[in-house]
Amino acid sequence: MTAEEGRPGRALGDGTAPAGIAPLDQAFDAGSLYALRAAVAARAAAAGFGRREVYEVTAVAHELAANAVIHGAGHGRLRLRADDGFLYCEVSDDGQAPADGAVAPGNGTAPWPAEHGHGLWLAGQVTDQLSISHGPGGTTVTVRFALRSR
Amino acid sequence: MVADAGVQVTELGAEDHACLTFGESEELFDLTAAFIRDGLAAGLKVVCLSGAGPGPVAGELGRRGVGVQPAIARGQMTVAGWEGRLLSGQAFRADTAVSWLAEELQSCRKQGFPGLRASLDMSWALRPVAGIEELPQFEEGIAAALAGSTAAVLCQYDRERFDPVTLASVAGFHSRSVAAATYHADALLRVCRQYAPPGIRIAGEADYQAEEPLALALAEALRLDGDIEVNMSALAFIDARCSLMVADAARAIASLSRLVTLRCLPEVAAGFARLGLDAITGIRLVTSGDR
Repeated sequence: MTAEEGRPGRALGDGTAPAGIAPLDQAFDAGSLYALRAAVAARAAAAGFGRREVYEVTAVAHELAANAVIHGAGHGRLRLRADDGFLYCEVSDDGQAPADGAVAPGNGTAPWPAEHGHGLWLAGQVTDQLSISHGPGGTTVTVRFALRSR
Repeated sequence: MVADAGVQVTELGAEDHACLTFGESEELFDLTAAFIRDGLAAGLKVVCLSGAGPGPVAGELGRRGVGVQPAIARGQMTVAGWEGRLLSGQAFRADTAVSWLAEELQSCRKQGFPGLRASLDMSWALRPVAGIEELPQFEEGIAAALAGSTAAVLCQYDRERFDPVTLASVAGFHSRSVAAATYHADALLRVCRQYAPPGIRIAGEADYQAEEPLALALAEALRLDGDIEVNMSALAFIDARCSLMVADAARAIASLSRLVTLRCLPEVAAGFARLGLDAITGIRLVTSGDR
Protein backbone atom coordinates (compact mmCIF):
# COMPACT_ATOMS: atom_id res chain seq x y z
CA MET A 1 0.00 0.00 0.00
CA THR A 2 1.42 3.33 -0.90
CA ALA A 3 0.33 6.81 0.00
CA GLU A 4 1.88 9.93 -1.36
CA GLU A 5 1.32 13.46 -0.30
CA GLY A 6 2.83 16.08 -2.53
CA ARG A 7 2.60 19.83 -2.38
CA PRO A 8 3.70 22.52 -4.74
CA GLY A 9 7.43 22.62 -4.17
CA ARG A 10 8.47 24.33 -1.00
CA ALA A 11 12.04 25.08 -1.86
CA LEU A 12 14.75 24.97 0.75
CA GLY A 13 18.33 26.08 0.64
CA ASP A 14 19.93 28.86 -1.31
CA GLY A 15 19.12 27.59 -4.77
CA THR A 16 22.36 25.70 -5.22
CA ALA A 17 21.84 22.22 -6.66
CA PRO A 18 22.96 19.41 -4.38
CA ALA A 19 25.55 18.17 -6.80
CA GLY A 20 28.01 15.55 -5.79
CA ILE A 21 27.11 14.70 -2.21
CA ALA A 22 27.87 11.13 -1.27
CA PRO A 23 24.71 9.14 -0.51
CA LEU A 24 24.17 8.07 3.07
CA ASP A 25 23.05 4.57 3.94
CA GLN A 26 23.07 4.03 7.67
CA ALA A 27 21.49 1.53 10.02
CA PHE A 28 20.10 2.85 13.29
CA ASP A 29 18.56 1.84 16.56
CA ALA A 30 17.71 3.68 19.78
CA GLY A 31 21.34 3.96 20.78
CA SER A 32 22.55 5.41 17.50
CA LEU A 33 19.99 8.13 16.77
CA TYR A 34 22.45 10.80 17.80
CA ALA A 35 25.04 9.52 15.32
CA LEU A 36 22.32 9.31 12.68
CA ARG A 37 21.34 12.96 13.24
CA ALA A 38 24.96 14.02 12.98
CA ALA A 39 25.42 12.15 9.71
CA VAL A 40 22.20 13.56 8.21
CA ALA A 41 23.09 17.11 9.27
CA ALA A 42 26.53 16.81 7.69
CA ARG A 43 25.05 15.58 4.38
CA ALA A 44 22.34 18.26 4.35
CA ALA A 45 24.92 20.99 4.96
CA ALA A 46 27.12 19.58 2.21
CA ALA A 47 24.10 19.62 -0.11
CA GLY A 48 23.85 23.37 0.27
CA PHE A 49 21.05 23.78 2.78
CA GLY A 50 21.12 26.74 5.14
CA ARG A 51 21.33 26.36 8.90
CA ARG A 52 17.60 26.31 9.54
CA GLU A 53 16.96 23.89 6.70
CA VAL A 54 19.73 21.58 7.89
CA TYR A 55 17.95 21.52 11.23
CA GLU A 56 14.62 20.72 9.57
CA VAL A 57 16.05 17.91 7.47
CA THR A 58 17.72 16.49 10.57
CA ALA A 59 14.56 16.82 12.65
CA VAL A 60 12.42 15.03 10.07
CA ALA A 61 14.99 12.25 9.64
CA HIS A 62 15.08 11.82 13.42
CA GLU A 63 11.30 11.67 13.74
CA LEU A 64 10.97 9.04 11.04
CA ALA A 65 13.79 6.97 12.54
CA ALA A 66 12.38 7.37 16.06
CA ASN A 67 9.00 6.14 14.81
CA ALA A 68 10.69 3.01 13.51
CA VAL A 69 12.51 2.51 16.81
CA ILE A 70 9.54 3.15 19.08
CA HIS A 71 6.67 1.70 17.08
CA GLY A 72 8.29 -0.46 14.44
CA ALA A 73 11.05 -3.03 14.51
CA GLY A 74 13.16 -1.12 17.02
CA HIS A 75 15.77 -0.52 14.37
CA GLY A 76 15.90 0.45 10.75
CA ARG A 77 17.87 1.95 7.92
CA LEU A 78 18.06 5.49 6.62
CA ARG A 79 19.11 6.39 3.13
CA LEU A 80 19.79 9.94 2.01
CA ARG A 81 20.54 10.92 -1.55
CA ALA A 82 20.47 13.96 -3.78
CA ASP A 83 18.91 13.65 -7.19
CA ASP A 84 17.76 16.13 -9.80
CA GLY A 85 17.49 19.12 -7.47
CA PHE A 86 15.98 17.21 -4.56
CA LEU A 87 17.25 15.64 -1.40
CA TYR A 88 15.51 12.35 -0.63
CA CYS A 89 15.41 10.78 2.79
CA GLU A 90 14.11 7.23 3.05
CA VAL A 91 13.56 5.47 6.35
CA SER A 92 12.63 1.81 6.41
CA ASP A 93 12.10 -0.85 9.01
CA ASP A 94 10.82 -4.40 8.91
CA GLY A 95 8.42 -4.04 11.82
CA GLN A 96 4.67 -4.34 11.73
CA ALA A 97 2.35 -1.45 12.40
CA PRO A 98 0.18 -1.99 15.47
CA ALA A 99 -3.55 -2.29 14.98
CA ASP A 100 -4.25 0.54 17.40
CA GLY A 101 -2.73 3.97 17.60
CA ALA A 102 -2.06 4.07 13.88
CA VAL A 103 -2.10 7.47 12.29
CA ALA A 104 -2.90 8.26 8.72
CA PRO A 105 -0.26 10.47 7.19
CA GLY A 106 -2.36 12.62 4.95
CA ASN A 107 -4.98 11.01 2.78
CA GLY A 108 -5.68 8.23 5.24
CA THR A 109 -4.74 5.34 3.00
CA ALA A 110 -1.66 4.15 4.87
CA PRO A 111 -1.40 3.76 8.60
CA TRP A 112 1.80 4.69 10.35
CA PRO A 113 2.35 3.89 13.98
CA ALA A 114 3.11 7.26 15.44
CA GLU A 115 2.10 8.44 18.87
CA HIS A 116 0.28 11.77 18.55
CA GLY A 117 1.38 11.74 14.91
CA HIS A 118 3.48 14.79 15.65
CA GLY A 119 6.61 13.50 13.97
CA LEU A 120 4.74 12.91 10.75
CA TRP A 121 2.93 16.20 11.14
CA LEU A 122 6.31 17.89 11.30
CA ALA A 123 7.46 15.99 8.23
CA GLY A 124 4.36 17.15 6.40
CA GLN A 125 5.06 20.73 7.42
CA VAL A 126 8.63 21.06 6.27
CA THR A 127 9.08 18.61 3.40
CA ASP A 128 8.26 19.00 -0.23
CA GLN A 129 6.74 15.54 -0.53
CA LEU A 130 5.97 12.66 1.80
CA SER A 131 5.22 9.09 0.80
CA ILE A 132 4.64 5.98 2.86
CA SER A 133 4.64 2.40 1.71
CA HIS A 134 3.48 -0.20 4.14
CA GLY A 135 3.33 -3.91 3.67
CA PRO A 136 4.19 -7.30 5.09
CA GLY A 137 7.89 -6.54 4.75
CA GLY A 138 7.65 -3.46 6.89
CA THR A 139 7.26 0.27 6.43
CA THR A 140 9.20 2.70 4.28
CA VAL A 141 8.73 6.44 4.49
CA THR A 142 10.30 8.71 1.91
CA VAL A 143 10.39 12.47 2.19
CA ARG A 144 11.70 14.92 -0.36
CA PHE A 145 13.23 18.32 0.17
CA ALA A 146 13.53 20.68 -2.77
CA LEU A 147 16.72 22.60 -3.26
CA ARG A 148 15.72 24.52 -6.34
CA SER A 149 15.47 28.29 -6.21
CA ARG A 150 12.74 29.78 -4.09
CA MET B 1 34.18 21.16 59.27
CA VAL B 2 33.01 18.70 56.65
CA ALA B 3 31.05 19.61 53.57
CA ASP B 4 27.51 18.32 53.81
CA ALA B 5 25.44 17.00 50.99
CA GLY B 6 24.75 19.54 48.29
CA VAL B 7 22.50 22.46 49.11
CA GLN B 8 20.82 24.93 46.83
CA VAL B 9 22.77 28.14 46.32
CA THR B 10 19.65 30.03 47.37
CA GLU B 11 19.84 28.42 50.81
CA LEU B 12 23.26 29.83 51.73
CA GLY B 13 23.47 32.18 54.69
CA ALA B 14 25.77 33.68 57.32
CA GLU B 15 28.88 31.69 58.26
CA ASP B 16 28.51 29.44 55.24
CA HIS B 17 31.76 28.57 53.56
CA ALA B 18 30.52 27.00 50.38
CA CYS B 19 32.38 25.07 47.72
CA LEU B 20 30.82 25.51 44.31
CA THR B 21 32.01 22.96 41.79
CA PHE B 22 30.92 23.70 38.26
CA GLY B 23 31.37 22.04 34.91
CA GLU B 24 30.74 24.92 32.52
CA SER B 25 30.70 28.70 32.62
CA GLU B 26 26.89 28.86 32.26
CA GLU B 27 26.56 26.92 35.49
CA LEU B 28 29.22 29.04 37.21
CA PHE B 29 27.62 32.36 36.32
CA ASP B 30 24.10 31.12 36.99
CA LEU B 31 24.91 30.03 40.54
CA THR B 32 27.15 33.04 41.18
CA ALA B 33 24.45 35.40 39.96
CA ALA B 34 21.93 33.84 42.34
CA PHE B 35 24.38 34.11 45.25
CA ILE B 36 25.08 37.77 44.48
CA ARG B 37 21.46 38.64 43.65
CA ASP B 38 20.25 37.31 47.00
CA GLY B 39 23.09 39.10 48.82
CA LEU B 40 22.31 42.44 47.23
CA ALA B 41 18.59 41.97 47.86
CA ALA B 42 19.35 41.38 51.57
CA GLY B 43 21.37 44.61 51.71
CA LEU B 44 24.69 42.83 52.18
CA LYS B 45 28.05 43.97 50.87
CA VAL B 46 29.11 41.81 47.93
CA VAL B 47 32.65 41.19 46.71
CA CYS B 48 33.21 39.28 43.51
CA LEU B 49 36.76 38.23 42.68
CA SER B 50 37.23 36.85 39.20
CA GLY B 51 39.91 36.35 36.62
CA ALA B 52 37.48 37.18 33.83
CA GLY B 53 37.76 40.95 34.37
CA PRO B 54 35.10 43.34 35.71
CA GLY B 55 33.51 44.05 32.32
CA PRO B 56 32.74 40.48 31.27
CA VAL B 57 31.69 39.55 34.82
CA ALA B 58 29.29 42.49 34.99
CA GLY B 59 27.96 41.48 31.57
CA GLU B 60 27.36 37.86 32.58
CA LEU B 61 25.72 38.82 35.86
CA GLY B 62 23.68 41.58 34.23
CA ARG B 63 22.35 39.12 31.65
CA ARG B 64 21.01 37.13 34.59
CA GLY B 65 19.20 40.03 36.17
CA VAL B 66 21.83 41.33 38.61
CA GLY B 67 22.12 45.12 38.61
CA VAL B 68 25.91 45.21 38.90
CA GLN B 69 26.62 48.80 37.90
CA PRO B 70 24.03 50.38 40.23
CA ALA B 71 25.32 48.21 43.09
CA ILE B 72 28.90 49.29 42.40
CA ALA B 73 27.80 52.92 42.13
CA ARG B 74 26.16 52.86 45.56
CA GLY B 75 29.20 51.15 47.11
CA GLN B 76 27.43 47.87 47.81
CA MET B 77 29.45 45.76 45.41
CA THR B 78 33.04 45.31 44.31
CA VAL B 79 34.11 43.37 41.23
CA ALA B 80 37.86 42.89 41.11
CA GLY B 81 40.74 40.63 40.12
CA TRP B 82 42.90 38.50 42.41
CA GLU B 83 46.01 40.69 42.54
CA GLY B 84 46.37 42.53 45.85
CA ARG B 85 43.66 40.36 47.37
CA LEU B 86 44.32 36.65 47.00
CA LEU B 87 47.61 37.08 45.15
CA SER B 88 50.55 39.39 45.60
CA GLY B 89 52.93 39.69 42.67
CA GLN B 90 51.50 36.45 41.25
CA ALA B 91 52.49 34.65 44.46
CA PHE B 92 50.09 33.17 46.99
CA ARG B 93 50.35 33.20 50.74
CA ALA B 94 47.46 31.76 52.71
CA ASP B 95 47.79 34.13 55.69
CA THR B 96 47.89 37.21 53.42
CA ALA B 97 44.80 36.08 51.52
CA VAL B 98 42.90 35.30 54.74
CA SER B 99 43.90 38.72 56.08
CA TRP B 100 42.39 40.31 53.00
CA LEU B 101 39.06 38.65 53.78
CA ALA B 102 39.26 39.68 57.43
CA GLU B 103 39.84 43.28 56.34
CA GLU B 104 36.87 43.09 54.00
CA LEU B 105 34.72 41.88 56.89
CA GLN B 106 35.89 44.73 59.05
CA SER B 107 35.41 47.30 56.31
CA CYS B 108 31.93 45.99 55.61
CA ARG B 109 30.96 46.40 59.27
CA LYS B 110 32.36 49.95 59.33
CA GLN B 111 30.34 50.83 56.27
CA GLY B 112 27.23 49.71 58.08
CA PHE B 113 26.39 46.67 56.03
CA PRO B 114 24.71 43.86 57.96
CA GLY B 115 26.91 41.25 56.35
CA LEU B 116 29.20 40.26 53.50
CA ARG B 117 29.03 37.86 50.59
CA ALA B 118 32.21 37.03 48.71
CA SER B 119 32.40 34.92 45.58
CA LEU B 120 35.92 33.74 44.85
CA ASP B 121 36.88 32.43 41.44
CA MET B 122 39.62 29.95 42.35
CA SER B 123 40.91 29.34 38.84
CA TRP B 124 44.09 31.27 39.71
CA ALA B 125 45.13 28.09 41.54
CA LEU B 126 45.35 26.31 38.18
CA ARG B 127 48.23 28.59 37.22
CA PRO B 128 51.86 28.02 38.18
CA VAL B 129 51.56 30.27 41.23
CA ALA B 130 54.21 30.20 43.95
CA GLY B 131 52.75 29.08 47.27
CA ILE B 132 49.92 27.05 45.78
CA GLU B 133 50.63 24.30 48.31
CA GLU B 134 49.10 26.62 50.93
CA LEU B 135 45.65 26.35 49.33
CA PRO B 136 44.24 23.99 52.00
CA GLN B 137 45.54 26.37 54.71
CA PHE B 138 43.75 29.23 52.98
CA GLU B 139 40.46 27.34 52.95
CA GLU B 140 40.96 26.40 56.60
CA GLY B 141 41.67 30.06 57.43
CA ILE B 142 38.53 31.20 55.61
CA ALA B 143 36.47 28.74 57.62
CA ALA B 144 37.94 30.13 60.86
CA ALA B 145 37.38 33.74 59.80
CA LEU B 146 33.73 33.05 59.03
CA ALA B 147 32.95 31.45 62.38
CA GLY B 148 30.56 33.72 64.26
CA SER B 149 30.49 36.25 61.41
CA THR B 150 27.67 37.51 59.24
CA ALA B 151 29.55 36.64 56.08
CA ALA B 152 29.31 33.88 53.49
CA VAL B 153 31.99 32.86 51.01
CA LEU B 154 31.45 30.96 47.79
CA CYS B 155 34.66 29.35 46.51
CA GLN B 156 34.36 28.37 42.87
CA TYR B 157 36.21 25.33 41.53
CA ASP B 158 36.04 24.04 37.98
CA ARG B 159 35.54 20.31 38.48
CA GLU B 160 36.77 19.57 34.95
CA ARG B 161 40.08 21.37 35.44
CA PHE B 162 40.98 20.85 39.09
CA ASP B 163 42.40 17.44 39.82
CA PRO B 164 40.43 15.26 42.23
CA VAL B 165 43.24 15.30 44.80
CA THR B 166 43.20 19.10 45.05
CA LEU B 167 39.39 19.17 45.21
CA ALA B 168 39.42 16.55 47.95
CA SER B 169 42.10 18.43 49.91
CA VAL B 170 40.00 21.61 50.08
CA ALA B 171 36.51 20.10 50.24
CA GLY B 172 36.74 19.25 53.93
CA PHE B 173 37.22 22.90 54.92
CA HIS B 174 33.92 23.95 53.39
CA SER B 175 30.72 23.77 55.36
CA ARG B 176 28.54 23.55 52.28
CA SER B 177 28.78 21.98 48.88
CA VAL B 178 26.91 23.72 46.09
CA ALA B 179 26.14 22.58 42.56
CA ALA B 180 23.20 23.07 40.26
CA ALA B 181 20.40 20.59 40.96
CA THR B 182 20.78 18.21 38.04
CA TYR B 183 18.00 16.07 36.62
CA HIS B 184 20.09 14.46 33.92
CA ALA B 185 23.67 14.67 32.74
CA ASP B 186 25.48 12.58 30.19
CA ALA B 187 27.65 13.22 27.16
CA LEU B 188 24.62 14.20 25.09
CA LEU B 189 22.30 16.11 27.37
CA ARG B 190 22.27 18.09 30.58
CA VAL B 191 19.04 19.11 32.31
CA CYS B 192 19.45 21.18 35.47
CA ARG B 193 17.88 23.89 37.59
CA GLN B 194 18.62 27.48 36.69
CA TYR B 195 18.75 29.97 39.54
CA ALA B 196 19.15 33.36 37.90
CA PRO B 197 16.65 33.85 36.41
CA PRO B 198 14.75 30.96 38.01
CA GLY B 199 13.82 28.06 35.80
CA ILE B 200 15.56 25.14 34.14
CA ARG B 201 18.37 24.80 31.64
CA ILE B 202 18.48 22.18 28.91
CA ALA B 203 21.74 21.85 26.99
CA GLY B 204 22.93 19.42 24.35
CA GLU B 205 20.46 17.30 22.39
CA ALA B 206 17.08 16.19 23.74
CA ASP B 207 15.07 13.38 22.23
CA TYR B 208 12.33 11.07 23.51
CA GLN B 209 14.88 9.07 25.50
CA ALA B 210 15.19 12.09 27.84
CA GLU B 211 11.45 12.21 28.48
CA GLU B 212 11.65 11.23 32.14
CA PRO B 213 14.22 13.75 33.44
CA LEU B 214 12.70 16.46 31.28
CA ALA B 215 9.25 15.79 32.74
CA LEU B 216 10.70 16.00 36.24
CA ALA B 217 12.50 19.27 35.52
CA LEU B 218 9.42 20.83 33.92
CA ALA B 219 7.23 19.70 36.81
CA GLU B 220 9.59 21.44 39.22
CA ALA B 221 9.61 24.57 37.09
CA LEU B 222 5.81 24.58 37.33
CA ARG B 223 6.10 24.52 41.11
CA LEU B 224 8.49 27.50 41.27
CA ASP B 225 7.01 30.84 42.22
CA GLY B 226 6.79 33.67 39.75
CA ASP B 227 8.05 33.94 36.22
CA ILE B 228 10.41 31.30 34.91
CA GLU B 229 12.85 30.77 32.09
CA VAL B 230 13.46 27.58 30.16
CA ASN B 231 16.98 28.23 28.98
CA MET B 232 17.66 26.19 25.86
CA SER B 233 20.31 28.51 24.44
CA ALA B 234 22.80 25.63 24.36
CA LEU B 235 20.28 23.07 23.11
CA ALA B 236 21.30 22.05 19.60
CA PHE B 237 18.39 19.68 18.99
CA ILE B 238 15.01 18.89 20.47
CA ASP B 239 12.67 16.31 19.01
CA ALA B 240 8.92 16.45 18.60
CA ARG B 241 8.06 14.67 21.83
CA CYS B 242 10.27 16.86 24.01
CA SER B 243 9.11 19.97 22.15
CA LEU B 244 5.52 19.08 22.99
CA MET B 245 6.44 18.55 26.63
CA VAL B 246 8.07 21.99 26.83
CA ALA B 247 5.14 23.54 24.97
CA ASP B 248 2.58 21.93 27.30
CA ALA B 249 4.50 23.13 30.37
CA ALA B 250 4.81 26.64 28.94
CA ARG B 251 1.08 26.78 28.26
CA ALA B 252 0.32 25.53 31.77
CA ILE B 253 2.56 28.19 33.36
CA ALA B 254 1.16 30.94 31.15
CA SER B 255 -2.37 29.88 32.12
CA LEU B 256 -1.44 30.69 35.74
CA SER B 257 -0.79 34.31 34.71
CA ARG B 258 2.95 33.77 35.00
CA LEU B 259 5.43 34.74 32.32
CA VAL B 260 7.50 31.96 30.84
CA THR B 261 10.50 32.73 28.67
CA LEU B 262 11.72 30.11 26.22
CA ARG B 263 15.26 31.06 25.28
CA CYS B 264 16.60 29.08 22.36
CA LEU B 265 18.49 29.03 19.08
CA PRO B 266 16.61 30.40 16.05
CA GLU B 267 16.02 26.99 14.45
CA VAL B 268 14.66 25.59 17.72
CA ALA B 269 12.51 28.69 18.17
CA ALA B 270 11.07 28.10 14.69
CA GLY B 271 9.82 24.72 15.89
CA PHE B 272 8.08 26.26 18.90
CA ALA B 273 6.60 28.96 16.68
CA ARG B 274 5.26 26.20 14.46
CA LEU B 275 3.44 24.88 17.52
CA GLY B 276 1.88 28.31 17.99
CA LEU B 277 3.80 29.33 21.10
CA ASP B 278 4.77 32.69 19.63
CA ALA B 279 1.13 33.77 19.73
CA ILE B 280 0.28 32.91 23.33
CA THR B 281 0.04 35.64 25.95
CA GLY B 282 2.44 34.94 28.76
CA ILE B 283 4.94 33.03 26.63
CA ARG B 284 8.05 34.83 25.40
CA LEU B 285 9.99 33.11 22.67
CA VAL B 286 13.49 34.60 22.70
CA THR B 287 16.17 33.57 20.26
CA SER B 288 19.68 33.83 21.50
CA GLY B 289 23.23 33.02 20.69
CA ASP B 290 24.68 31.53 17.60
CA ARG B 291 26.21 28.12 17.81
